Amino acid sequence: MGARVGLVQRRGVIAGMGAITLLPGAARAQAGFPAQPLRLIVPFAPAGTTDLTARLVAQGLGERLGQTVVVENRPGAGAMVGSEAVARSTADGYTLVMSNIASHAISPSLYPTGAVRYDPVRDFTHIALVTSNPSVWVANLRSGIADVAALLQRARSQRGGLDVASSGAGSSNHLLIVQLAQVAGVSLNHVPYRGAGPAMTAVIAGEVPAMSDSLPSAAAHVRQGSVRAIAMSSETRHPGFPEVPTFREQGLDIVSTSWFGISGPAGLPAAVVARLNAEIRAVLATQEVRARFAEFGGTPGDMDAAAYGRFVAAEFARWAPVVKASGAEAG
Amino acid sequence: MELLLQNLGHGFGVALTIDNLLFALLGCLIGTAIGVLPGIGPVATISLLLPITFGQPATTAIIMLAGIYYGAQYGGSTTAILLNLPGEVSSVVTTLEGYKMARNGRAGAALTIAALGSFFAGTVATILVAASGPLLTSIALSFGPADYFSLMLLGLIISAVLAQGSVLKSIGMVVFGVALGLVGTDVQTGQQRFTFGVPELSDGIGFVSIAMGMFGIAEIILNLERPEARSVLTQKVGSLFLTKEEFRRATPAVLRGTVVGSLLGILPGGGASLASFGSYMMERKVSRGRAQFGNGAIEGVAGPESANNAASQTSFIPLLTLGIPANAVMALMVGALIIQGIQPGPRMVEAQPDLFWGLIASMWIGNLMLLVINLPMIGMWVKLLQVPYKYLYPSILVFCAIGVYSLNNNVFDVYQTVIFGILGYIFSKLRMEPAPLLIGFVLGPMMEEHLRRAMLLSRGDATVFIERPISATMLGIGAVAILAMALPSLRKGKDKALAE
Amino acid sequence: MKINTKDLLSGAILILLAVVGYWLNQEHALGNARRMGPGYMPMLTFWILGGLGLAVFLIALFSGPNPLDKWTKLEILAVPLAIAVFFITYFVFDALKLFTGNYYVLGSAMFVGCVVLAVAPGWRPLGLVHAGFALFGLMLEQFGLMLALVGCIVVASLADPDHRPKGVIGMIIFLCALCWWVFIKELDIRVPVWPQFL
Repeated sequence: MGARVGLVQRRGVIAGMGAITLLPGAARAQAGFPAQPLRLIVPFAPAGTTDLTARLVAQGLGERLGQTVVVENRPGAGAMVGSEAVARSTADGYTLVMSNIASHAISPSLYPTGAVRYDPVRDFTHIALVTSNPSVWVANLRSGIADVAALLQRARSQRGGLDVASSGAGSSNHLLIVQLAQVAGVSLNHVPYRGAGPAMTAVIAGEVPAMSDSLPSAAAHVRQGSVRAIAMSSETRHPGFPEVPTFREQGLDIVSTSWFGISGPAGLPAAVVARLNAEIRAVLATQEVRARFAEFGGTPGDMDAAAYGRFVAAEFARWAPVVKASGAEAG
Repeated sequence: MELLLQNLGHGFGVALTIDNLLFALLGCLIGTAIGVLPGIGPVATISLLLPITFGQPATTAIIMLAGIYYGAQYGGSTTAILLNLPGEVSSVVTTLEGYKMARNGRAGAALTIAALGSFFAGTVATILVAASGPLLTSIALSFGPADYFSLMLLGLIISAVLAQGSVLKSIGMVVFGVALGLVGTDVQTGQQRFTFGVPELSDGIGFVSIAMGMFGIAEIILNLERPEARSVLTQKVGSLFLTKEEFRRATPAVLRGTVVGSLLGILPGGGASLASFGSYMMERKVSRGRAQFGNGAIEGVAGPESANNAASQTSFIPLLTLGIPANAVMALMVGALIIQGIQPGPRMVEAQPDLFWGLIASMWIGNLMLLVINLPMIGMWVKLLQVPYKYLYPSILVFCAIGVYSLNNNVFDVYQTVIFGILGYIFSKLRMEPAPLLIGFVLGPMMEEHLRRAMLLSRGDATVFIERPISATMLGIGAVAILAMALPSLRKGKDKALAE
Repeated sequence: MKINTKDLLSGAILILLAVVGYWLNQEHALGNARRMGPGYMPMLTFWILGGLGLAVFLIALFSGPNPLDKWTKLEILAVPLAIAVFFITYFVFDALKLFTGNYYVLGSAMFVGCVVLAVAPGWRPLGLVHAGFALFGLMLEQFGLMLALVGCIVVASLADPDHRPKGVIGMIIFLCALCWWVFIKELDIRVPVWPQFL
């Protein structure tokens, strides 16, 4: 195993140096792809939704490709450290990244120009959308906030605005708070936490009355009734949570989904992209994976590579002005 | 009570199947092994093993992962005692007296009391989790940001007692640690602070790099500079067992450590990391052997090790009762459960009694296994010290190097460790203590976070810190601690001045 | 008036850190008490750090004597030389753009600086142990784990005059085998094992 892993790494590392690229990787890769194990880089720390999703998909993908798909965590800088490593790797399909809303849509606008060392659209070949999920707003059970109307009313009456928690500054959930305050014309006091877990604790304890959270991390708490779900940011009601109304139903034009996909460096051979896209979609179509995604409220993706590429580009363009408006900055 | 026994009986029925026992053993073995390796922590290991657990029943999977978690803590104290290499926050404190004991030829005794104390504390904490988990949850929920801030501040104040020398200098080191903790992304605004444009610094400086550099590597260099000191380290091994005197001194320390650790472990977000040095501070003030602190006092190993293990058991409480992970390892466990289709939370006790009570029973079984695995191994570990130092130190070095690289698969961490090694060497030459610095480094960011959140929620009104009873109590204790520290040193200063 | 040199230097280091930190913190917004900016806590921290440093420094003027170990001429010379070599290497390599990415420039500069420091016999353990560590980082991703181990062990062994070539070779073989078994076979960490350019 060790030696084989060493072989895979070689390509990534050489490319990582940027200076010497000895192997005509693309040419060699096409014949009989995949000939070696693949590396799937998760730009976040272990645990967490991205990591779990990656491991789930990696297992199925490995079985279908007949090669191990090794998951490797390279966290840092709003998911940009790991993504940058992949952008610089040899374009042969053996080094892939879990692209996501942070690494490819928000962080490049959030961080100062010098710290962003890749273009989320041009420096990647986007292969397939893995899953997407809406955000859900939850409220403390004793807060008296049962729907969006009550939330807005409280936001207007309270001095300094209503406190709303999120999993962190610059997260898609934070940006959603900013968006809602703009759309509804109310004052919301953003209270960032270090991750979704501590923020959820604060809502359950009543420290903060409401929170904007991704569905996967909130699903369990909504199901067991430790918090009240007041609105979902999907276009229509979520099949797993038919009782939770959308923002649109409650009169606010807010639709937002966070997503994860699989991408490689720019210039991947078309045959490799097609093969990977087909196999990933086949994995996503299996009953087992669908059931596990449904558990935390994720919708499996089903897009061809070109569509996913357009999707990433659209998301990147869409979030840039929201980031500017939020006043959040990482520089 | 009867119901509790019945439930525990049910739990043991689940845990005592051959499969579950085997996986508990496997988890403990893996955990001990990775705990001994510097840098490789339970988070990385558990996430590597996660796919294996997909195919197992949920109970078996979680039993194995829990075994890795506390196995790693046992293993971590071994390197702290033998090699002055703390792998985690909790074992920083163990190095203080443990490594001194090893140098006095009492490494065996230190390892033995660490294992026995941990087992006892683990047993008590497990019973506590079983008997009153849900009740204790309300304590955790009653802590607001103002209370956490005051708790962290108290922690920082009392961490100055970790100092072996000048209190003022060690407070300086605490604050220096807080300053190092500022590096990285500001949680409240997402802004990068003191990162010099290095993306690897955006998540802050790595704890392991600082700990390895300042403790492990600096110690290697100091030993190389003093050939006579190494022979002390490698020649004297001494008896593995506790003397009667040591046992008598350690017992109350274990009891106090268990209480302190169990209580702090319940608090999500930093409680557990306070446990071991909270206990150290207590021992230093109240134990009978307090005069020996700094020269290898057994209470300074027994108390913190017990507290640490008790805390790691009770930190399951927020997970099991609220579904909220207290730390990264717990977050992975939630992930493992969700993949298995189980939602951790208040309803888990009723919905998954096998899992809940099985896990509790296997916690205790795991602790027993660790004791059985570790006690015979102590002899082997201590023999490690008889390896001539010229062969031992390159081995420590390469294990550190690989460990620190594998944290993020990034060479930047290796270079970062070099910087802290050099800094640690300078500090030790100037008698500046690295332990308070590490505590400040860990608690500082949490303190800032809670301070700013408390002010944000109170709309800038600082009176919350004295209006909330928990917070006010903590601050009161902190004020008393400062007075208690200042008075003797003032008096001493006066005596000295008079003598001259 | 007896000067406590160790404490005097400790105080000076703390003051220096506080001043540098305070200066770097100028770029961060302070905010107000309600919504503290990113610069608020650093400002408090560096003020306190500076104050403590000053107190340690002043007390040290009277609490001595507590002198440092005597340095030889070579030791005194080696320290500024090593620091200078570190910066020169860093900027020269950086300007040449010979190696890009992956902190090769930083690692090389550290390695060279530590080796220069080791010229003085008194700094040999300090310089060579760190040089070995830095060399490990430099070699790991291109030359693979095995050669990086060899490089690290050889350089670090030079720090101890007791080492004989035979013993070092034996140790290299043993440690390479052990590390392969533990980290590659059992733990399966993500790292190249053999040289990458073959």
